[in-house]
Amino acid sequence: MTDKKKENLTKVMDYLKHKDPFSKGVAFCPGCGLELLLRFIPQVIGNDIVITGTPSCSAPVLLGQNNQSWHTLSYFGTLMTGAAANATGLARYYRKAGIENTVVCFNGDGTAADIGFGNLSGAAERNEPFIYICYDNEGYMNTGIQKSGTTPYGATTTTTPLGSAHKGKNLRRMNLALKMAMHKIPYAATATLSDLDDLAKKLLKAKEAKKRGFAFLHVFTPCTTGWGYAPENTIEVCRRAVKTNYFPLWEAVNGKIRMTKTVKKPKPVSTYTELIKKFAHMSEEDLQILQDDVDYEYCMLGGLSLLEGECQLPVSSED
Amino acid sequence: MITKAQKKSQIKVITGNAAAAIAAKLARPDVVAAYPITPQTEIIEQISQFHANGEMDCELITVEGENSAMNAVMAASLAGGRVFTATSSWGLVFMYDAILAAAGARAPIVMVNVNRETPGIIAVSSGQQDMISTRDAGWIFLIAEDCQEVLDLVLQAYRLAEDYDIQVPVMVHYDGFYLSYLSEGVDVPFQEDVDQFLSVLKTQPERTKLVPGGKLGCGSHGILLGYLELRHKHVSAMERAKAKFEQIDKEYEEIFGRSYGGLVEEYRMDDADAVLVGSGSMCGTIKAVIDEKRAAGVKVGLLKLRMYRPFPSEAMIKALKGKKAIGVVDRSLCFGFKGGPIYTELKAFETKLGGSKMISFIDGIANTDITKINVATMIDTTCDLAAGKDVREVTWVSYPEAQEEGGL
Amino acid sequence: MSEVRFHGRGGQGVVTTSKILANAFARTGQFGASFPMFGFERRGAPVTAFGRFSDKPVREKTQIYNPDIIVVLDPSQRNSAAVFLGLLPGGMMLLNDSDNTINVSHDNLRKLGIINANKIAQEEIGLSIPNTVVVGAFARMSGLLDIEPCCEALQDYFSGKKLAANIVCARRGFEEVELFDL
Repeated sequence: MTDKKKENLTKVMDYLKHKDPFSKGVAFCPGCGLELLLRFIPQVIGNDIVITGTPSCSAPVLLGQNNQSWHTLSYFGTLMTGAAANATGLARYYRKAGIENTVVCFNGDGTAADIGFGNLSGAAERNEPFIYICYDNEGYMNTGIQKSGTTPYGATTTTTPLGSAHKGKNLRRMNLALKMAMHKIPYAATATLSDLDDLAKKLLKAKEAKKRGFAFLHVFTPCTTGWGYAPENTIEVCRRAVKTNYFPLWEAVNGKIRMTKTVKKPKPVSTYTELIKKFAHMSEEDLQILQDDVDYEYCMLGGLSLLEGECQLPVSSED
Repeated sequence: MITKAQKKSQIKVITGNAAAAIAAKLARPDVVAAYPITPQTEIIEQISQFHANGEMDCELITVEGENSAMNAVMAASLAGGRVFTATSSWGLVFMYDAILAAAGARAPIVMVNVNRETPGIIAVSSGQQDMISTRDAGWIFLIAEDCQEVLDLVLQAYRLAEDYDIQVPVMVHYDGFYLSYLSEGVDVPFQEDVDQFLSVLKTQPERTKLVPGGKLGCGSHGILLGYLELRHKHVSAMERAKAKFEQIDKEYEEIFGRSYGGLVEEYRMDDADAVLVGSGSMCGTIKAVIDEKRAAGVKVGLLKLRMYRPFPSEAMIKALKGKKAIGVVDRSLCFGFKGGPIYTELKAFETKLGGSKMISFIDGIANTDITKINVATMIDTTCDLAAGKDVREVTWVSYPEAQEEGGL
Repeated sequence: MSEVRFHGRGGQGVVTTSKILANAFARTGQFGASFPMFGFERRGAPVTAFGRFSDKPVREKTQIYNPDIIVVLDPSQRNSAAVFLGLLPGGMMLLNDSDNTINVSHDNLRKLGIINANKIAQEEIGLSIPNTVVVGAFARMSGLLDIEPCCEALQDYFSGKKLAANIVCARRGFEEVELFDL
């Protein structure tokens, strides 16, 4: 290990100020990106949060069964349709009652980008005072790997299977984080598990921004079981997603975008897809479509981040 | 309604919607979620104005849809807050998953539902079909007859929903258009009296609340025995709500001088041979026609349902037992059955009614007016049944073609 | 109990006329109920509202099919069949019209009141919204209540200068309505 790497490691550990509220040996798959993220959040921003969760891969661990629980956090198990509205109700009541609070609305991409997007957008528009975290594993993994709005072009799922007429998803993924940034909320950011110091900083910034209103984190969270890669490769998948600009790291304050990590010489997206079985069938033409999509989104993001002038958006919220 | 000498009052001529909004204000909710829909909109407009004027110190959440309204108040309620929201028709249906979740979570929400039709033809019209479509959600349902009762029921609903022994959400229903836009004199209570009425809740043990850092969760996966336990507790709480509501009605009378008789209101029932069973605004018209019929020597009475869920079967049996004939008036349909929903449910207790015969009337759906003539027809038919004549089981009062088609 | 049907157009304050009267009745210890005909409302379209006024609580929750009194805020509807539909014998009609000659007739109509409410409203509030003038005229013609509770009731709908001007409107309606026995 080089000195520089050691230094980085120390930096990440420094962010872990609080205890891990989860018990050992929880019911996640080996190599699960979600588990790492879920254990990381309360260690960085504290155990005194109220975390909301929905039916998803997080549910078996995040929500208890009857009167038993895998962790010691206050949690609110709810429906995918209204998760952001639940978090709104909690945060607003705590504000009214003068109760110090950090409400973390923790959802997969199915809730955030698909079925619950309406109330996520509504909460952002009203600038509700809580943190919304989307762990994006690009599909409905808990129900057995179906396509979602963030499933990328070409990927196979059980609802975009391989067949003689169609091969994988023939639509582009939506850019959820950019959509959220366009709500001009106090804080929006992307993050992933290969860059934990970046993630930790963003969690703390989100906690701070929550005092001014809505904070949104989009965390790229690979799924070894659903995507088809070796469990030990979770971090490598994240790393390559960043290095190919498949998942760029940025943040936006009041809608003003800033790249938090710039990749000097981005690798071709195939260096990312080659690790993952859900892309294995893709032809060169198909990979080019995916590459074009990655390039296009990065170009759009880069353009937005170059906009000049300080953003002077007056922050407001319902009161 | 029994009215004692008024202790303190301020008569205001207001709509049913305004009565609901004022009642919500008087209850001092912590969190209100608001989304417009005809004919409920005036409620949230009034509350928004109270909030803008600084008269209502609540968190007002102007949500982007009814589903979020229910989700927001559910969570706020489970966190410990007093909450209010209102809806109607499609709005009620759009929050249906959250309505079920809120009931299962035993969130003591008070919601007003202004009854409106919900069929695929976009019916902006009165009817109780929305209520019927949600009747098995596990909420307590109360139904108001006039603007005064709208206000009174909303206040009583808080006592019922938040009672430590109940903790079940309550929906207060009243007819869209017929009450939502009706202006009439309403005795608006003073804040101090409402505070006194609701203060009982503060003397009870605190309900379990979701607090930050509290190491407590809600919304677990209830499975097997754990789930059965919670469901049975819910059913038991619903049963307890009957006696509790009777008690609340009495306490309300002591403070505000108005009592409605609890679960059901009996009108000129004592020596009645024929009885109409109804709910909501139709009951006012039925009472007026009963007075006319009584003057002509017809022994007819009304049994008004004030609580619809839990179904007040014991109170209904007690009031109806031994009556010769019962005509149940439904402002909604019960698909798969010929008769209306309340008729069908009461029919389940037929053997306990001491030989009373029963018929069903369908009227007032899709805004058809339950006129005095219609009521007189229903009374005459029920009296014919009481006299032993052969009458049809189900009558669509405003749609004679239904009878001609021979289907019923 | 008097059952009253109001006819006018959107923007004339038809429903408000009925509401103010219900309010005024309540202030005398009597009872009033007011409600619009149910349907979509839009500016300029014909609007119908109902009022029931009584010394006993009003329990009926149905529309009015046999009015004792009809109030017509829109003179163009004065002879329409819908206006007279179901009018009971001995019926009264209050008409907002600039022409004070008797040019309506119906077998059951026994009393007619004519008031140029648009003109009075124009003079007092600068807008030809006839409703508060009609409230005053109604009190006088019907004989069911005095003008004072009507003026008091206006406090719930107006404030400041508008209230003062509308009180003048109601009083002028009360004083200037011309009554004809038919």
